[in-house]
Amino acid sequence: MNIKNRILIFCIVLLSSFAVFGQQVSDLRINELLIANDSNYTDEYGRHVPWLEIYNTAYNSVNIAGCYLTDDTTGLSVGDYSNWYRIPTTDPTTLIPQRSSLVFFLDNNPLYGTYHTNFNPRESKTRYIALINSNGKTLIDIFYYPDALLNVEQSYGCYDDGIKTTIDENGKEISGIGMLEYFTPGSANKVNIGATKQEHLQKSDPYGLGLAIISISVVFVALILIYLMLKIFGHVSTRKNRKAASEANANTVAVAQNPIDEQHIDEGPSGEELAAITMALHLHLTGQHDEESEIITIESPSAHYSPWAQKSLVMKRVNRRK
Amino acid sequence: MKEFFIDGLRQFFDYSGFANCEPGNLIMIVVGLIFITLAIVKEYEPMLLIPIGFGIILGNIPFTDGLQVGVYENGSVLNYLYFGVLKGVYPPLIFLGIGAMTDFSALISNPKLILIGAAAQCGIFAAYAAALALGFTPMEAGAIGIIGGADGPTAIFISSKLAPSLMGAIAISAYSYMALVPVIQPPIMRLLTTPKERLIRMRPPRAVSHREKVMFPLLCILLTAFLVPTGLPLLGMLFFGNLLKESSVTKRLANTASNALIDIVTILIGLTVGCSTQASTFLKWQSVEIFILGAFSFVIATACGVLFVKIFNLFLKEGNKINPLIGNSGVSAVPDSARVSNVEGLKYDKTNYLLMHAMGPNVAGVIGSAVAAGILLSFLY
Repeated sequence: MNIKNRILIFCIVLLSSFAVFGQQVSDLRINELLIANDSNYTDEYGRHVPWLEIYNTAYNSVNIAGCYLTDDTTGLSVGDYSNWYRIPTTDPTTLIPQRSSLVFFLDNNPLYGTYHTNFNPRESKTRYIALINSNGKTLIDIFYYPDALLNVEQSYGCYDDGIKTTIDENGKEISGIGMLEYFTPGSANKVNIGATKQEHLQKSDPYGLGLAIISISVVFVALILIYLMLKIFGHVSTRKNRKAASEANANTVAVAQNPIDEQHIDEGPSGEELAAITMALHLHLTGQHDEESEIITIESPSAHYSPWAQKSLVMKRVNRRK
Repeated sequence: MKEFFIDGLRQFFDYSGFANCEPGNLIMIVVGLIFITLAIVKEYEPMLLIPIGFGIILGNIPFTDGLQVGVYENGSVLNYLYFGVLKGVYPPLIFLGIGAMTDFSALISNPKLILIGAAAQCGIFAAYAAALALGFTPMEAGAIGIIGGADGPTAIFISSKLAPSLMGAIAISAYSYMALVPVIQPPIMRLLTTPKERLIRMRPPRAVSHREKVMFPLLCILLTAFLVPTGLPLLGMLFFGNLLKESSVTKRLANTASNALIDIVTILIGLTVGCSTQASTFLKWQSVEIFILGAFSFVIATACGVLFVKIFNLFLKEGNKINPLIGNSGVSAVPDSARVSNVEGLKYDKTNYLLMHAMGPNVAGVIGSAVAAGILLSFLY
């Protein structure tokens, strides 16, 4: 393998490793926050403390272990994570299933357990919470919240889980974050879900006619596309065959007119012919055999041939007495 | 000692199949035996009917719940094997094998035959509408409709996603009708064609180059998967298998996919689908409705294929016309429906061999049914 190929393979592996990373912690989003928790969700000790929900937007499980939560990102550029809360790597419950969420208690009591951070937004100077990758340098998500949240017992987060911006009716990009109607720690923020796909279909297309027409049209479009592709294939192939045939005819005519040129057209003897000639020369020159059957059998190794299957290798050798 | 002996025997009897047997179990065991008999005596799809038939027997041996032996009991061996059906793992693997076995040359050489494969998919959507009319939910109707594609793996794949509770009935129905293709299709073909049409001779297919064969799966996957990404597991594996075959540099992989792998998966899928037909879940009026709808979709699919060829012929020049007897091959029961075309063609002209021509729409039917499955998933899942 030459150096160019090695560099190419290295680049492909490097790129694919980025893709793997892309499917992991980068899919996590801070989804919901409640700071003025006076009578709401309690932690495992029965206390009302601020809580934060982190949502896995991916369709695969993501482990949040090793990542950092902080309300102060000043050390981010230099990788100084001494003041951040590091999510323990020893707790198996930090694996967030697909499209699910995990709740952390922002109570400045990290000794209380995996889900208790070392900061409390009620005491912090900043108005954001950041989720940082385990390398201490990559910001996964930052969640800004208004001052009002410190005094109002209302949760603040994404209207649709994990979606921070959305498009309004006029096609403009607007924020998908705001005060939420319901408190939903550990569950979907969107509570009032409309009709399911099936219910909608049952209502709008009760006889199945619409779906049948659309579906059969799509099947036809797909197969017509293949048909067109094959048509082009056939056209190109026929043209090539004709060209090859006309060239072959021209060569045949040329050979007929000038037989000396034949050696230039002929590609030479095949491997088997060469082997036969060599064998004949060898026998002739060495003169070891008087009479032969004049049949040479060239046996190529079978598809199942393996040197590991050789009898001499697999049989145990027994020492012979001399 | 005597009491212990009697109690022991009584307890043993309570655990035995005789104590737990219900009439439904016996009916299903008889069905399983019929399947096996049909496979051995009549040679109707023996590769499928023997594993399914035996699976039906296994699935209907009565037992006490909680012993972890039933297909629906978590942790049982059959349940582990059934996982591949439930999660739609086996059907794409079967498609891999089909791709590695299929020669698309007939289709590449005469591309207009691919449209017959599209027309025959009408059976799927006709059955979908009929199932809705009978009161099935859209998801159940979609799963039932796919029987009309005449493709067992696709039917299992779709029903595992849309209506897992009906999977046993749908799979058995699909495979039964696939086995009965030589019985169902010929009367419809005769009914819809004239004696003159049955004698049409088609132009011999042109030679297809190696390059064309290699390019075919690559371009097809790009075209179809971009259009219907939900069909990716089936289409992807089908064309991947075909690329293994046609690339000519991966013969070992193609051989494994088209021999050992497909055989293993066929055994597992047949046996576990058969097991899933426990009398308690299978013997319902719904199953009868599914069988009727399956037959209806098969009839519509065959009729649409034949009628499409007749209409298509109106636009084709003399000499380029298609024999409508290959219209039935648009359903993807490979190669049975193509064989039916050939047999029917030979009945009217002993020198008119339609097999190669019928293989074109037949393999197009495989692609068409996978695309149709993808569409149903995108609408209903």
